[in-house]
Amino acid sequence: MITVHWLGTRCRRGVMVLSVMLFLSGCGGGGGGGTAPATPTRAQLVDASTLAARATFGLAYDDIVALAAGDSNDWLDRQFSLPVGDHVSVVDGLVARRNAGEFAPFETDIELLVTFRRLAWWHRTVTSDDVLRQRIAFALSEIFVVSDNVDALIIDPYALSDFYDMLLGNAFGNFRDLLLDVTLHPAMGVYLSHVNNRKTDPVRNTFPDENYAREVMQLFSIGLFELNSDGTRQLDGQGRPVPTYTNNEIREFAKIFTGLSYGGAGQFFGNPVPYFRAPMVMFDAFHETGTKQLLNGTVIPAGQTGMQDIHAAIDNLFNHPNVGPFIGKQLIQRLVTSNPSAAYVRRVANAFNGAGTGVRGDMQAVIRAVLLDPEALAPPDTTADFGKLREPVVRYASLLRQFGAGSADGFIANTGYVLQALSRQHPLSSPSVFNFFLPAHQPAGELAAAGLVAPEFEITTSNTVIGMANLVDFALLGGFVTDATAPFLPVSLDVSDYHALAADVPALVDRMDIVLTCGTLSAATRQAIENTISQVSDLDIRVKLAIYLFHISPDYTVRL
Amino acid sequence: MLSRRRFLSHTCKLGMASATLSSSLLTLGLARTAAAATSGYRALVCILLAGGNDSYNMLVPDDAGQFAAYQALRSDLALAPGTVLPLAGTTASGRRYGVHPGMPELQSLFAAGDAAMVANVGTLLEPFDPAAFAAGTASLPLGLFSHADQINQWQTGVADQRIAQGWGGRMADMMQGMNTANGISMNVSLSGTNVFQSGNQVTEYSIESTGNGATGINAYNDGTPFGDFRKQMVDDLLAVSQPQIMRREYGRRLRNAIDSQAVFVSALQASTPPTTVFSANPFSESLGQIARVIGARNALGATRQTFFVTVGGWDHHDEVLNNQARMLPVISKGLQEFRDALFELGVFNDVTTFTISDFGRTLTSNGRGSDHGWGGHHVVMGGAVNGGQIYGQYPLLEPASPLDVGRGIYAPTTSVDEYFAELALWLGVSAADLDQVLPNVRRFYTPESGTPPLGFL
Repeated sequence: MITVHWLGTRCRRGVMVLSVMLFLSGCGGGGGGGTAPATPTRAQLVDASTLAARATFGLAYDDIVALAAGDSNDWLDRQFSLPVGDHVSVVDGLVARRNAGEFAPFETDIELLVTFRRLAWWHRTVTSDDVLRQRIAFALSEIFVVSDNVDALIIDPYALSDFYDMLLGNAFGNFRDLLLDVTLHPAMGVYLSHVNNRKTDPVRNTFPDENYAREVMQLFSIGLFELNSDGTRQLDGQGRPVPTYTNNEIREFAKIFTGLSYGGAGQFFGNPVPYFRAPMVMFDAFHETGTKQLLNGTVIPAGQTGMQDIHAAIDNLFNHPNVGPFIGKQLIQRLVTSNPSAAYVRRVANAFNGAGTGVRGDMQAVIRAVLLDPEALAPPDTTADFGKLREPVVRYASLLRQFGAGSADGFIANTGYVLQALSRQHPLSSPSVFNFFLPAHQPAGELAAAGLVAPEFEITTSNTVIGMANLVDFALLGGFVTDATAPFLPVSLDVSDYHALAADVPALVDRMDIVLTCGTLSAATRQAIENTISQVSDLDIRVKLAIYLFHISPDYTVRL
Repeated sequence: MLSRRRFLSHTCKLGMASATLSSSLLTLGLARTAAAATSGYRALVCILLAGGNDSYNMLVPDDAGQFAAYQALRSDLALAPGTVLPLAGTTASGRRYGVHPGMPELQSLFAAGDAAMVANVGTLLEPFDPAAFAAGTASLPLGLFSHADQINQWQTGVADQRIAQGWGGRMADMMQGMNTANGISMNVSLSGTNVFQSGNQVTEYSIESTGNGATGINAYNDGTPFGDFRKQMVDDLLAVSQPQIMRREYGRRLRNAIDSQAVFVSALQASTPPTTVFSANPFSESLGQIARVIGARNALGATRQTFFVTVGGWDHHDEVLNNQARMLPVISKGLQEFRDALFELGVFNDVTTFTISDFGRTLTSNGRGSDHGWGGHHVVMGGAVNGGQIYGQYPLLEPASPLDVGRGIYAPTTSVDEYFAELALWLGVSAADLDQVLPNVRRFYTPESGTPPLGFL
């Protein structure tokens, strides 16, 4: 046995040096050791854990037990009705503390303001009760992409927190409202440059900006090609995919998105000073007035107001038959599996189209269809293709949520910069409007040969695959859980709930198999983990080492 | 890693104990190498200006007539008169050109013959024909003007298909065997996964611009008892056979990353890095790291390499003037630093650097910026480059230009196939194998012609 003589891990990236850390077993809250009143069966626990892995940023064991004791539909209904854990109010609190001078001693070489929206994201994601809504909003943020790689969106902490709240607020609403709110959000106006976009000026030889017009079609609603309702491409007589639009339609839509500028006090067209806490407003004098040819033969008459034009354009896109399969398939990929069958996509598209509800674009119906599809609920099969690689952000947030992240004042202070440096991913920080990875990314080799996509592998490089392993190591065994420093308090993980179980190595691994691998741990991986953790006598370290090994194992990183 | 192509065992004359070489590579690649009297090492460095650089403001008319036409077209996007940095010499048509005022290093690299420009390059399926375009009968690249397709085609060189393999990857499928088999790809990326370097067998080895480029698992095999324990636990975990295909892929990537890192870092540590100072920005730091890796080429057993670095943020639908004034100097200065470091290492003749980008942009303005276009201008740099010239044809800027396909989008006059063919041939792809790398190249160039497509190498 290796007794407690743990050498602390050392961060080699110059971020910080971690000292030798030994965790003393704390008196953990929550009583996670299995004291639930009615003990669900293992099969029920596995099903609950599987749903949680898809629908949330991770549930702790007690919450999995509670979920297992009930019905999945009821759980979804409860989640749909929970109040929004908004991010702006967290930013408000931080701004108030800053305005009171509390942070002044710590701002000598870093402007804390730019981290507030990140701090809000981590605090809410780790602690908020609306676990489904937070997870769906993150998935939506990977479709409706804005990013803090644009200066104007990083320096104002409300730019992206307000945008995220808009996603949270629309997550369980209707897709048409979501698309309209995305279109009018000033963060999107900045990111895709349709804020202060003006009508054609023949004298100056200038034309409407085509940026948003293109991306709202290509990425946010209908995609590049006409789709069948099952997400497969329609083909022309020569077997080629049929484009949904040409550059002519882009120029027509570009005319629609003219005349918008910032809302708020003292508004005027051309206002160079961003205001992010209200939707953009229309200034008709700068809006292109002529007719516009939209998709599927729709023509907007001349002389409408700018907002009438925008509503007409949103309706035109929203009612395109592509939206259900296009958006539905991406939600399946983000939440459940990289390669859904055509039938699965069709069922989700049908839900989008109003089957059952009679309402087109009902996000609750779509989410229910994605998560409770028969294909998703089928028993996991390690010899099949079903499943997906977990995203780094989701892996890390899950680690914090599932293993007792806490701090003295209850605030989970993480900027995510270290995670981003090591994994190339952080919410609302993708390198371009095309997200961190493409939905159709095919890793070369075996996966491409099998005709499978695996989007998350696009950011799984020789560096990030090790970076993520080390990040989890820092958190569990180095005590470096979050990267925010003073004035914020350190965050620690608390696995004392597992101490009693840890004396029995197979029982500990059983429990971790339910919590982390949703019952899909292979016998051989189990053997390897048991062999290793049996050599560690300190129970706290044994638990943490087990979590580390799970987290870097293929059995966990790819969930089925 | 074996190529799909024919191989034969061969005792290499270039300092390596042995290697497998494509027989056809020998014929032209090594002959050209010998003729150039270099070390036998060659590398291409691909700089992707992601988002679509507005390159009509990077390479700008500098004679009175064409500058006036440029001003008329570009409206509020035109650079101020008298600010363009003139390039030495004139074109055959007597016109003069200059570079963006923020690129004095590029100006001097051009003047010294270390760099050249390639004008109005773009994706094409046939030489551009205005009449056919107007009639709707032209054969056009898929997804013209769209980032997703165009950034892809600039890396695949295949404008009539949507494929995931790049021409750098296809070269590596052929050439990887020229390098020592130590698990390190000949394609090294400073910007992670990318299409250019993805082949059917070979993909990129991804490194960071900082430190030793690659970090290992904490404490893994570090000589301490704990390091032994860490190695054992990770090795045991990754020794498990995984039946599920994605689990297998993830496990393989972690295993390869751990093994490659050890080889890579020891090679870097065994080599003397160049002393040239690189600026403190991600682009210069990436070029600095590439120079360091090139300096370690012998320790790495590398005879052929490609490097890839992305500089993002060029999609300037607004603020194009301010943004380019901030961003183009970074490119210019980085190129100069890289040139100096390669010169110091004695390999400037063996390394050719080139830019790519999604597309050029509209000559006309949207009132604050420019929109997605087609043809654009590019930089090539290296001791092997016949520098100080503009290759291809810089279009005559005029109202109602026959090249203008609408909103001031100028169609390309040189295809990416020609541009890339020149680079691939230089790296050592034989004329007979060029179709494997650039399947559409014969639409524009006859590989057996014996003359390079554009002449800059």
